Amino acid sequence: MNKRILFVDDEKNVLNGLKRSLRSQQKDWDMSFVLGGQSALEMSYNMDFDAVVTDLRMPGIDGLHVVKELKKHHPEIICIILSGHSDEEMIMQSTGVAHQFLAKPCTTRDLINMLTRIFSLKDFLGNKKLQSLVAGMKTIPSMPETYNKILRQLASPNNSLKEIGDTIKQDPAMTAKILQIVNSAFLGLGRHISDTGEAVSLLGLGIVKSLVLSIGIFSQFDEKKVMDKAFSLEKVWQHSLKVADLARRIAVAENAEKEVVDNSFLAGMLHDIGIIILEEHFSEEYGRVRELAQTKGIPMYQAEYEMFGATHAAVGAYLLGLWALDDPLPSTNTRRFVGAAWMVFRH
Amino acid sequence: MDTLTRLTRRVEREQKARKEAEALLEKKSFELYQSNQELKSLAAELADKEERNRLLLESSSDGIYAIDREGLCSICNPAAAHMLGYESPEQVIGKNAHMLFHHSHQDGSKYPEEECVLQTGLEKEIKLNVLFWRVDGSPIDTECRAAPIKQNGEVVGSVVSFTDISERLETEMQLRQAQKLESIGQLAAGIAHEINTPTQFVNDNIHFLQEAFEDYHKLMSLYDQFLQASEETVQEDKKKEVNLLVEEIDLEYLQEEIPQAISQSIDGLKRIAKIVRAMKEFSHPGEHEKVLIDINNAIETTIDVSRNEWKYHAELETNFDSDLPQVPCLPGEFNQVILNLIVNASHAIADVVTNSGNMGKILISTQQDGDWVEITVSDTGGGVPEEIQGRIFDPFFTTKEVGKGTGQGLAITYSVVVDKHGGTIVLDSQQGVGTVFTVRLPIKVEQLEVQDNE
Ligand SMILES: Nc1ncnc2c1ncn2[C@@H]1O[C@H](COP(=O)(O)OP(=O)(O)OP(=O)(O)O)[C@@H](O)[C@H]1O
Ligand SMILES: [Mg+2]
Repeated sequence: MNKRILFVDDEKNVLNGLKRSLRSQQKDWDMSFVLGGQSALEMSYNMDFDAVVTDLRMPGIDGLHVVKELKKHHPEIICIILSGHSDEEMIMQSTGVAHQFLAKPCTTRDLINMLTRIFSLKDFLGNKKLQSLVAGMKTIPSMPETYNKILRQLASPNNSLKEIGDTIKQDPAMTAKILQIVNSAFLGLGRHISDTGEAVSLLGLGIVKSLVLSIGIFSQFDEKKVMDKAFSLEKVWQHSLKVADLARRIAVAENAEKEVVDNSFLAGMLHDIGIIILEEHFSEEYGRVRELAQTKGIPMYQAEYEMFGATHAAVGAYLLGLWALDDPLPSTNTRRFVGAAWMVFRH
Repeated sequence: MDTLTRLTRRVEREQKARKEAEALLEKKSFELYQSNQELKSLAAELADKEERNRLLLESSSDGIYAIDREGLCSICNPAAAHMLGYESPEQVIGKNAHMLFHHSHQDGSKYPEEECVLQTGLEKEIKLNVLFWRVDGSPIDTECRAAPIKQNGEVVGSVVSFTDISERLETEMQLRQAQKLESIGQLAAGIAHEINTPTQFVNDNIHFLQEAFEDYHKLMSLYDQFLQASEETVQEDKKKEVNLLVEEIDLEYLQEEIPQAISQSIDGLKRIAKIVRAMKEFSHPGEHEKVLIDINNAIETTIDVSRNEWKYHAELETNFDSDLPQVPCLPGEFNQVILNLIVNASHAIADVVTNSGNMGKILISTQQDGDWVEITVSDTGGGVPEEIQGRIFDPFFTTKEVGKGTGQGLAITYSVVVDKHGGTIVLDSQQGVGTVFTVRLPIKVEQLEVQDNE
């Protein structure tokens, strides 16, 4: 079935331009172009959409309002802000509401690529319940120690960007979130950032501080919520770190370029993020996945598939896609290095 | 009565009298002791008081000095001596304070003693800003209080206390500069948006035109083949192919959209050019002289650069007198005035229409009134409450939250209009209805240097 996308802007010319430039997508996408927030909401009452791409500031009902309202009725909807305000304020406002924010001017190709990738990861995940779950996620839980450490560092008067970047780098959840924000906001740069240190310095201390302290982009793991007694967040994160570190070292040893080295580390860091999402929200079921794997003597991913109709890898991949983290395994080299590292530490 | 008895009685009487005398003595000496004590503590208290006064005088960070009826310095505290560059108060005491501290005006011209308000016998307390001269000949700006010293109802001199405010003046100036930069920074974000939006659709249209051109190209080469094909059957085939392609590329759509894509792109580029030009015209860097300007034009420019500030909650209308004469103005400062008034109007409207989806209205009009040009900026905001109407032109008076206003907009506006242009600015506001600011500028200014019309 064709994907349905709603485009909202307060300027007719922008809608006209989008409509024309996206002409070649007509065969795959059913696109509606509406002027202003009010008409967007009216239209959404009679029609379902897979994604909404909206301007931020509009007279009357603004883009954030549109997104919030649409999410209420369609929790699985993909929300993109496309705004000419490429400033801090926009980052602060839309983080936690929209999945990504694109700065105008944004090329047709960027827009098409991004949506296409998200759609395909969403289809790959399949399970509608999981699609809604992932689309609704605002944070991934961090280890309480790391979480408290970053709060302490941010509150300290003599904190440094480097220290803060280093702390984030040790935590997969924070890494994913900070990269979502920076890649989303700086898409216009035309390059992808996969190094947390660089991400933190691009955002600057002020923004990072208010993102963490007032918007709450990080959260700590709540052990009480987890029913699966065999699960340990610490173990998963430690495993991720080990894989990441080894993958990076293999990449360095192979004389790979910086981008591949960074990506190898990142991919190792994030490869199990899907497990955390499933454990946090479907803890009981995930406990049964473990039992299933044991009693039937099948690999975990197969047991996951039997239970959810999807694997934790698909869950993680969709989240990272939605969060603007480019394919973490873009080059075959990265794939090789991470694969090798993973084999060493296989659970 | 025998002699013995009499004698004994006498002794008893005398003994009693003696005891009484002793008691009296004791009482008196006690009283004496007491009054002596009191005297002592009174003296101590007095000494203490004086010591305290001395300490107060010596430890005060304000400069304090007193002068007698002749204008000679009778008291001077160390702070005053220090601030004015003397080693000790003794170097000042006994000398004429005016001749030491206020001998000249800022520009160096002589300041006669008879004109000095601090020197001529004061009747009541006054507060004013005064320029003091240090012993080394450098000036300091001070805030100064002077009060008469009276004895039996007669003025016998005055006491002056002063604080160095040069640092404060410096900070204030820096703050003003900061506010100006801040407002430019704020405008810059809005201007970026005003440029980014048309860039977006010009880009999109060009992307479309590129693809459309490729489609046209396909079609043209097919037409070419069609024309070249000589045999009728081949021609038939080609015709079918052409028709199919016409369908596929949706030629009808292209023919309809291409001209629009072009004209909308041209509009977009014009918009970008216009805002860039307005930005340049708005700031007028390096223009410090009054020049004759077209007020309507200048206002139009300011409207362009500030569009993003108001367009989400207000419509802006203009009603310009097209016969308005040119007016001598400092162009950059004049634009700042209009900007402040527009931003204030926009804020006032934003406060009343929040989230209602309604739009307010800002109206800017110009007209000539005799030797004056009158500019009014009116809004449909909440109005200025009566209680604060007297204070809105004060520096740093604001009702806005931090980050939204610093309270300098109208203070700067006032100083530009009144002090720098010899004009007037009047507020007329009704709560719940809106606000009108009327600025009047003189058309003729005597000192105006006539512009060369080269
Ligand atoms: N058009 C208006 N309607 C209602 N109130 C106004 C209007 N213009 C000014 N005021 C009031 O006067 C106060 C002072 O205005 P002023 O422009 O000097 O400072 P500000 O707008 O608060 O800050 P700044 O201009 O420095 O950013 C404002 O805070 C507001 O309360
Ligand atoms: Mg103001």
